[in-house]
Amino acid sequence: MARALIARILAAGLACCGAGAAFAADWQGDERSGSLQFTAIQAGARFTSAFERFTVRFDFDESSPAGGRLDVTVQTRSVDTADVDRDEILRSRDFFWCEQYPEAVFHAGKFERDGAGWRANGKLALRGTTRQVSVRFELTPGPMHLVMKGTADLRRLEFGIGQGEWSSTEWIGDEVGVLFDLKLLPAAVSTSP
Amino acid sequence: MPARNTAVRYGFVAQGLHWVIAGLLIVQVTLGKIADDLPLGLDKLALTARHKSVGITILALAAIRLAWRLIDRPPAPPPMPRWQFVASRLTHAAFYVLLFAMPLSGWLMSSASNYPVSWFGLVQLPDFVRPDEGLEHLLEEVHETLAKVLITLAILHVAAALKHQFIDRDGLLTRMLPWRVR
Repeated sequence: MARALIARILAAGLACCGAGAAFAADWQGDERSGSLQFTAIQAGARFTSAFERFTVRFDFDESSPAGGRLDVTVQTRSVDTADVDRDEILRSRDFFWCEQYPEAVFHAGKFERDGAGWRANGKLALRGTTRQVSVRFELTPGPMHLVMKGTADLRRLEFGIGQGEWSSTEWIGDEVGVLFDLKLLPAAVSTSP
Repeated sequence: MPARNTAVRYGFVAQGLHWVIAGLLIVQVTLGKIADDLPLGLDKLALTARHKSVGITILALAAIRLAWRLIDRPPAPPPMPRWQFVASRLTHAAFYVLLFAMPLSGWLMSSASNYPVSWFGLVQLPDFVRPDEGLEHLLEEVHETLAKVLITLAILHVAAALKHQFIDRDGLLTRMLPWRVR
């Protein structure tokens, strides 16, 4: 236990000092680390909204990207579109159904190169449906952190987001973009839960 | 009918803009009222989107109309008491202000509520303010108050035009009609 902890701290320490070089470490973050947003088309206009509660765990070794993991857990109730009526509808059974599915969970177990960045092919469990989702991201190591910035494209109807009249794509588009910009901290030395 | 105004009558450009905008304003007030009373749902979303598209159309027409008004001076009104002339000038000036202030306040309100404006699903308009609930409520008040002022002035405007035409029989309304009324 103690040895594992020391190993983690060392790994994190190495990652911290190894800016630019190959790095391997276990990182974590949450809503205090940055933003997790989504954009959707409504009546022909794209708008951006955010989730206010989420956690990220990112275990990554650049030299063996086929291993590691990326786990993102989002509290669906924390959706914030800057309009309380719309937030309530999104929390209802017709959209996220937060009562039944309070969390949306993404998990990826391996990574591959994608141009200058990376790609995580994983599974997203959202409103009781699990689907393959590909997340593209770029990593920028800092002295004590790792900036992880990326996007994913989803189709809301694949997850049953929008039941009944809302399943029409005439006024609300099917395509939803996910954007995140996070400053992750080493999991072992961070004081956050 | 000539394109430009004559000494006694508005030309077809001024008349066209007047009546098209008048028609769109009736559509606009109706759409706005119906949409405002609906609970948030697809119908409200669709009607509000139309309301915004019509509003932006009016904004564009208002810009053309103001430019035309500056280029092409209106025909002189028939003789009337001074207070009536002053009242009509003030009403017309207020209409021009409202033709800009109404769509602009609606546009800003849309941005503040994070429901950006798309013109008939073809072009998305930029947001000049960030989503902000406090600002949205303020703009909503402004938009609704301006609508009430507009409706009141429109009633006055129509009543005055009909009074001149049918009680004073001074031919005032005829200046804005493509045909003669007598």
